[in-house]
Amino acid sequence: MASRGAERTRLGSGGSHEGFLRHRRFRWLKVALLLSLAAAVAYAATDVQPRHNGGSWLGYALGTIGALLILWLTMLGVRKRAMTRGRWSLKAWTSAHVYLGLALVVIATLHTGFQFGWNVHTLAYALMMVVVLSGIYGISVYATLPDELSDNRAEMTRPQMIDAVVKIDQQLQAAAQPLDEEEAGIVRLSLAEDPFRGSLVRRLSGNYSNCRNAAALRAMRARPATPETARVVDLLERKAAALGRIRRHLRIRALLEIWLFVHVPVTFATIAALTAHVVSVFFYW
Amino acid sequence: MAFLLRTVSRSAEGREIVRTARVEGERLTVGRDPASDVHLTDLAVALRHAEILRTADRLEIAAGTGVSIELDGRKAARGALPLGTGGDIRIGSHILRFLPTAAGAADVEVAVERVTEGEAQLGKADERRFSVASVMPGKRPLAWILVLLVLGVFLAWPIWTVQHRRQDAARGFQPDRMWLSGHLSQVHSSLERDCAACHVTPFVSVRDEACQTCHVRVHDHADRARLARARPGVEGWGRFQLAVQETFGLTPGRCVDCHTEHEGPQEMAPTPQRFCADCHSGLRERLPDTRLGDAGDFATAHPEFQPSVLIRWDAEVPVMQRVSLAGRPSENSNLRFPHALHLARDGGVAQMGRRLRGQFGFGDSLACADCHVPTPDGTRFQPVDMEADCGMCHSLAFDRVGGTVRTLRHGSPEQVVADLREYHRGRVPPRPSVLGPDARRRPGDVMQIRSAIQYAQALAGSGSAADRAIRAVFSPGGACWDCHQVQIPPLGSSAYRIRPVAFPTRYMLHGWFDHAPHRQTDCATCHGAERSRSANDLLLPRLETCRTCHGGESSGEVPSTCAMCHDYHADEGVPAMLLRQRVRGRRWERTTIQVRPEPAGGRR
Repeated sequence: MASRGAERTRLGSGGSHEGFLRHRRFRWLKVALLLSLAAAVAYAATDVQPRHNGGSWLGYALGTIGALLILWLTMLGVRKRAMTRGRWSLKAWTSAHVYLGLALVVIATLHTGFQFGWNVHTLAYALMMVVVLSGIYGISVYATLPDELSDNRAEMTRPQMIDAVVKIDQQLQAAAQPLDEEEAGIVRLSLAEDPFRGSLVRRLSGNYSNCRNAAALRAMRARPATPETARVVDLLERKAAALGRIRRHLRIRALLEIWLFVHVPVTFATIAALTAHVVSVFFYW
Repeated sequence: MAFLLRTVSRSAEGREIVRTARVEGERLTVGRDPASDVHLTDLAVALRHAEILRTADRLEIAAGTGVSIELDGRKAARGALPLGTGGDIRIGSHILRFLPTAAGAADVEVAVERVTEGEAQLGKADERRFSVASVMPGKRPLAWILVLLVLGVFLAWPIWTVQHRRQDAARGFQPDRMWLSGHLSQVHSSLERDCAACHVTPFVSVRDEACQTCHVRVHDHADRARLARARPGVEGWGRFQLAVQETFGLTPGRCVDCHTEHEGPQEMAPTPQRFCADCHSGLRERLPDTRLGDAGDFATAHPEFQPSVLIRWDAEVPVMQRVSLAGRPSENSNLRFPHALHLARDGGVAQMGRRLRGQFGFGDSLACADCHVPTPDGTRFQPVDMEADCGMCHSLAFDRVGGTVRTLRHGSPEQVVADLREYHRGRVPPRPSVLGPDARRRPGDVMQIRSAIQYAQALAGSGSAADRAIRAVFSPGGACWDCHQVQIPPLGSSAYRIRPVAFPTRYMLHGWFDHAPHRQTDCATCHGAERSRSANDLLLPRLETCRTCHGGESSGEVPSTCAMCHDYHADEGVPAMLLRQRVRGRRWERTTIQVRPEPAGGRR
């Protein structure tokens, strides 16, 4: 959903679609800027002694606005499951989600009065900032990575990418039949390689130094060259290329999707911390 | 004899496909080599993996060099199966199942089946594994874990410990410290471990009673009802704010309204001037019976000083009254003292000072400090002490005995009279022996008569000389008259009296003035002593004089808020703001010190 929005922003206003970022000529950007500006002006104009904090009338007002905003922004998760058109279309909602989410940074920061410490209050602020930053990251990767993803795919579908490996495996199986046990063992090593193996870190870094196919390739190249081994080496090299394509795809997909695993759970952690923040303030009123 | 091979494989739909083959002889070779009797394409199988030899009653199995087989679940290089019961041999991903064969039968039936996929095989289902979700825990469980963690650690734990805390257990880590929104000021830092010291009841705002558990001596600024009336009316936004505050249980007028906390570990922030000015800048309107003038800012709106002045005497008791300096009040200490005369650069006083320079360190003329001694804290000045502060010049000496100078007793007129009489009696010659008690008076003793006449004359003369001396001391030009107001006794009596003397030690009872920080300024800048010819002149500077340096909250050479001189809690001591700024000062409780007769030489 988000990727579609981001990609289409590049079609320009002449296109029949516009992305959520430039929805209605940046209507929600303007609303968010206005909101931030109003908060900043109120902050500058209000004389809070001895210094700004969350406990002044302005602090409470900004805090209330911020808390309501957080709850409303979270509602996108509910809202996106129901698609509608018009003024409150999902696109409009997403546009508002992005820009009001950015305005929240201004409002929440002014609410703190720039007073931070090792406490539940700063925890709520920090978690909120993590959510916002992950969202900014999400938008930025959706603007750039899908191109990389399709470049890497080279018109192949995902099943085709898997199929390429499967076919090479079958050929390897056949080509290895005349080989002796040791060489057959090397080929089996390659056959045992699962392209999807590896933790999140491996996916994000794209570093597959323990790839069994690569190990098999190295070992096979070290064997005496015969027509049989030459054929196997050729197949192993082709498999390395096919695996590389899958892995690049995995890496881009991981970079593209990982932010939601931060954005969503930390959103709920933020709401929990916000609850603790509000309750603690009233508990020691 | 032969082996009957039944190779079982499965179609894509799962249907069993069986191919049969017959291998003649007693020997069966198994391997990846296409020439083998049982050809297995599994790469885990060696080219010539195993050989099975049929004997009379059993099958002997031998694996090739370097490889092994699995016989009834055990790895082995060689082994045997009884022909009668048969058995399974596993090679790589294949199973060779030898069916039970009667001892005399010709053929041994062998089923060959691939039981596992030799290598990892990819399938269509793997497409889902492209998503990062396949290597991540679900977003929902992650969210639940984080929510429970945060609520547990930062909410449930502190609340639980607060509810179950023992009275004395303010030691170690208190989980509610995680709620600390900012450090307490330095004076309250010891309370940081004990939130409940101030936040007594959960969900109830901090009450004054909590402050008063420690601050027992702080009293109210004024009567509460009058305070409420003095408050300016709130309209519009202010009224709304007040309504919201009261809805949330924040009643106005609490200690914490002015004394905000959790602002960091510094000194408590001084209360801003508007907390004073809100009420005091239009007080007369709202409290018509107040004796206080309206004050909003020292530079622009402050009434003239009203010091407490000794205006008159009620018999022996000094009467103090607050009077505005605008009315040029005079002071009545019962002393005579022309400041101008003493501070003059030339004239008798200056000359005398120069003469005594070696002894007392005077300058070319007298200076204020030659007579006025500050209090130990430097805030104010001690009352002038006759012997110590005036006695350098104003000598009360009247006799010298050997090297000792006899002085009149200051502060005790009766003693002065007695001392002078005694002195003059001492001048009478001793009673002639011819007038001794045992001497008989003989008529015609000219010598005796002359002595008697001379003695009587001396006695009579001494009496009148003493009277003259006493009168002189208490009369114009005399030692007492110079400085004091003398009450002349009726004729024939010598019961001279001196009017009592008193000095205020503090004029500004509701404002604080400290001489110490003003030390670099010349006394004459504020006190017009050089032009004062009478002790009745009140030499206090007026408001305008202070304003040459002191401005308002944010104006003037020395910006001065109300709190620089005044304390909200109406204490006579050093204002709390100055105390917090580490200005050391001793609180002077008494406002006047009456000069009373006391043993000579004593100085407080």
